[in-house]
Amino acid sequence: MPGVLHSLPYFVAAWLLLCGLYGLVTSKHLVHAVVCLAILQSSTYMLLLAIGYRVGGSAPIFADISTSKLVVDPVVQALMLTDVVVEAVVVALLLAMVVKAHEKSGSVSPNDLRTLRG
Amino acid sequence: MTERARNSLFFIAGAVLLFLYAYSALNMPPWGSYRGPYGDAIARVAVYERHATDIVNAINYDYRGFDTLGEEFILFTAVLGVSMLLRKEEGALKRPAGRLEDDRGLSAAVRAVNLPALLVTTVFGLYIGVHGQLTPGGGFQAGVILATGAVLVYVCENTGAFCRITSHAIVEVTEAFGAGGYAIIGIAPLLAGLPFLCNFIPLGTTGDVFSSGTIALISACVGVEVTASFLLVVYIYLQEIITGAFPEEE
Amino acid sequence: MMTNPPISPALAVAVPLLSAAILAAVRKWLPRVAMDVLGLLASLGTLAITSILLYGSVYHGASVYWLGGWWPRGSTAIGIGMVVEPIGAGLAVLAALLTSLALLFSWRFVDSGQKHLHPLMLIFLAAMCGFSLTGDLFNLFVFFELMSIAAFALCGLKTEEPAPLQGSFNFAITNSVAGFIVLTGIALLYSVTGALNMAQIGLSIGHRHDPLALFACTLLFCGFLTKAAIAPFHLWLPDAHAVAPTPVCVLFSGLMVELGLYAVARIYYAIFAQSFAPHAYALHVILFAFAVATVLLAGFMCYAEHHLKRMLAFSTVCHSGLMLAALAAGGPLGLAAMMTYLVAHAFVKGGLFFLSGVLLHNQRSITERELFATARHLPWAAALWILGAIGLAAAPPLALLLGESAAERAAELSHLHGLSAIFIIGGALTSAAVLRVGMHAFFGWGDGALSDRSAEIGELPETDPEHRRLRAYHLIPPALCMLLAIALFAYPHWLHILRDAAAAMASQPAYLHTSYTGRHVALTQPSWREAIPGAVTRSLLALILGLLLALSSVFRNRLPRHLRVGAFVERGFHPLREMQSGHPGDYVLWMTVGIAAFGSAFMLFLRR
Repeated sequence: MPGVLHSLPYFVAAWLLLCGLYGLVTSKHLVHAVVCLAILQSSTYMLLLAIGYRVGGSAPIFADISTSKLVVDPVVQALMLTDVVVEAVVVALLLAMVVKAHEKSGSVSPNDLRTLRG
Repeated sequence: MTERARNSLFFIAGAVLLFLYAYSALNMPPWGSYRGPYGDAIARVAVYERHATDIVNAINYDYRGFDTLGEEFILFTAVLGVSMLLRKEEGALKRPAGRLEDDRGLSAAVRAVNLPALLVTTVFGLYIGVHGQLTPGGGFQAGVILATGAVLVYVCENTGAFCRITSHAIVEVTEAFGAGGYAIIGIAPLLAGLPFLCNFIPLGTTGDVFSSGTIALISACVGVEVTASFLLVVYIYLQEIITGAFPEEE
Repeated sequence: MMTNPPISPALAVAVPLLSAAILAAVRKWLPRVAMDVLGLLASLGTLAITSILLYGSVYHGASVYWLGGWWPRGSTAIGIGMVVEPIGAGLAVLAALLTSLALLFSWRFVDSGQKHLHPLMLIFLAAMCGFSLTGDLFNLFVFFELMSIAAFALCGLKTEEPAPLQGSFNFAITNSVAGFIVLTGIALLYSVTGALNMAQIGLSIGHRHDPLALFACTLLFCGFLTKAAIAPFHLWLPDAHAVAPTPVCVLFSGLMVELGLYAVARIYYAIFAQSFAPHAYALHVILFAFAVATVLLAGFMCYAEHHLKRMLAFSTVCHSGLMLAALAAGGPLGLAAMMTYLVAHAFVKGGLFFLSGVLLHNQRSITERELFATARHLPWAAALWILGAIGLAAAPPLALLLGESAAERAAELSHLHGLSAIFIIGGALTSAAVLRVGMHAFFGWGDGALSDRSAEIGELPETDPEHRRLRAYHLIPPALCMLLAIALFAYPHWLHILRDAAAAMASQPAYLHTSYTGRHVALTQPSWREAIPGAVTRSLLALILGLLLALSSVFRNRLPRHLRVGAFVERGFHPLREMQSGHPGDYVLWMTVGIAAFGSAFMLFLRR
């Protein structure tokens, strides 16, 4: 079905989103949970880049091509470029929380770290 | 909630979510046929207006420079958060999470490769950073590459060598200067009556390294900040978690 | 008549950011007092800037500011625009005011992490200002992320105990997932409209009604409703509030949560109003259903809590549900009702959190059982606390009454039944909880307080044991908050301005016009003064119900068995406690269930 093939990258993005959510829900290790968050972010990158693609378009760098040539969408690339670097440091922040939690309670499983119940 | 209940409830909710997402994806324009006005509008005019050939960078640091200011401060805040979380506590015992004995250096071959690799990485990083407005590159990428260079020292030597070249206080101040510098570049045009973050310095010729006005300047600030923040994060993790030697804190 | 804002609205963001960078750079060498002074100055400076913006938007009309000078080309916006109109500017002023009060309260207060508090608070302030003033959807997301990251760091400030780390980890996971959901929604909208400016997206979407628009709307709403702590996305909030330092809790409950609701309102009215217009009633009912669930869930959990901050956190969730109910009542009147309630609630809740901080500082404890009869020597604090309880029931003389009356009027006009009942239930439960704590702590009535598992965690005091005395900077913030809440009721002239601003915000053509041309459209809507007497009756009923419930809890041993309603509700309901399990996986699970439910409701009822 041409319709489905035309939307395949979007289905992949949807699947990544679900995988990330599943990992978060069933996680037994806090570091694993943080990595699943990174998978969720990858799903948004996949979606953004797939939206911006144009068949036959070249990269939006006009250093060696003429300005009248067709290029892919530069806006989505700009949007996710900063996100990639920023997310690396945010993951560092979350991992710092995990390390500190391990130091204080000796465990990294969400099941054991439930002082805040009820 | 028991694990079985959690799994079954998630399968139902997740299936519904997947169905909704896929159903709406079928209503999107087919892949590869981007037709929106925003990207084309900028791609048409950016070279003439800003003398920059890398449109992605022009968008990041000029057209949507305010977004990048916010993102840069997200980075700054996250590093501030890491240094706050892993700070030395009053009366805390030195109980590191891991244990790293790396007083002895690595093999001579590895250490011999250290200096050339460091030189190549640094030059490459600076090249990428300076040419951001012409070819893919810019502040964020350059910052990461330069920080990797310092981490190379840790990989090839030991923690002590790494810590010698990344003294805590200087790196923090540099990072703050990078972040604050971006805000200053934004505020400066206001003093001349121009809008915030307006590109007000001479634009130069397209294709030249010193072109596109404030784009290059902002890119440099961001590069400085990103380098400093990655170095700081690695430093904090190494010092306070792995080796357990707390630095001289307040 | 100036059409541009008098000063650049980007200054409201850049000044606190720059101050935060400077403070972070020099924090190793400055003494604590200097950090306090500089932080307070920066916050007051931002207050001045945002006040000028508010003044300009009120007296010269709403306007737009295109950053970098990038005005739109035709109908395509190529830069980022900031729309300065009274509601957004008012929220920014509120943010700056609350941050200044919080920084005043933390004058030598929070001893741990002291050098990191000021830069983080200033960044948080900058993010809140940017969030309320922006007109670009991706810019909204960026400030959402900045606000979240600063909040994660502030929440985990007290690293000596294990609980803050878990609370802030749960907070981080759920809000990061919410951020990615929002980004997915933005991407979906971008694919069909090719725009990131909210006015332009609204123009492109037009009457479009297909599953894509519905799903994008679902994702955007669910992401922001997570921040707004609406059930079932609310589970992170009690964990985060129970462990954050007091000045931070004031900001969270006073403004951060409410900004989520503001974002929902903004996105709906700027982007989707035209496309959902034929099905407006169905949408209102769906939102109202979620609001009712929130109020009931949180109200009952609020009464069952014995840890002061956790109880106040659940009451924030409950009132957030009430605000969503006001918004769901629809139209410019519903929006005006929500904003009125928001402002008044910010002051009342802020004051209550400040008072709980005073108790923690003075009595070294935050659980009801340990505080029993210990605060009898603080009569003024008792008076302010009781005022807060009265305010939560939306009774006079506090301004929440005005919001409730407007909401009721809006519900009448759009045939939404049950809104007044929900307001009574929510007000009664939350004010009962506050009254019960007040009776135990400040008056020492009854035979002793119950406790529960979460209250046993307690909290380490935030300050030095030698400085137990209460000073001026502890007393001024809560007193000022309550006074402002009363003043807003006594001098309701600001309501005219709010009504007209809400009429303009709720009109998509007016927003479009302002965004593209920078000129404001003067719209107005009728007053709801005639609805106030009815609201007074209802709110007094809520207050009396709350008082009775609290009394039946406090004097439970002297009542016959079948009248011990208070003690019964206080023990809590097992399924509700199970839901609040502290396990981040559970929280994400409920978020997924919520998104699935929301999305299905949209597809089924808004499609035709």
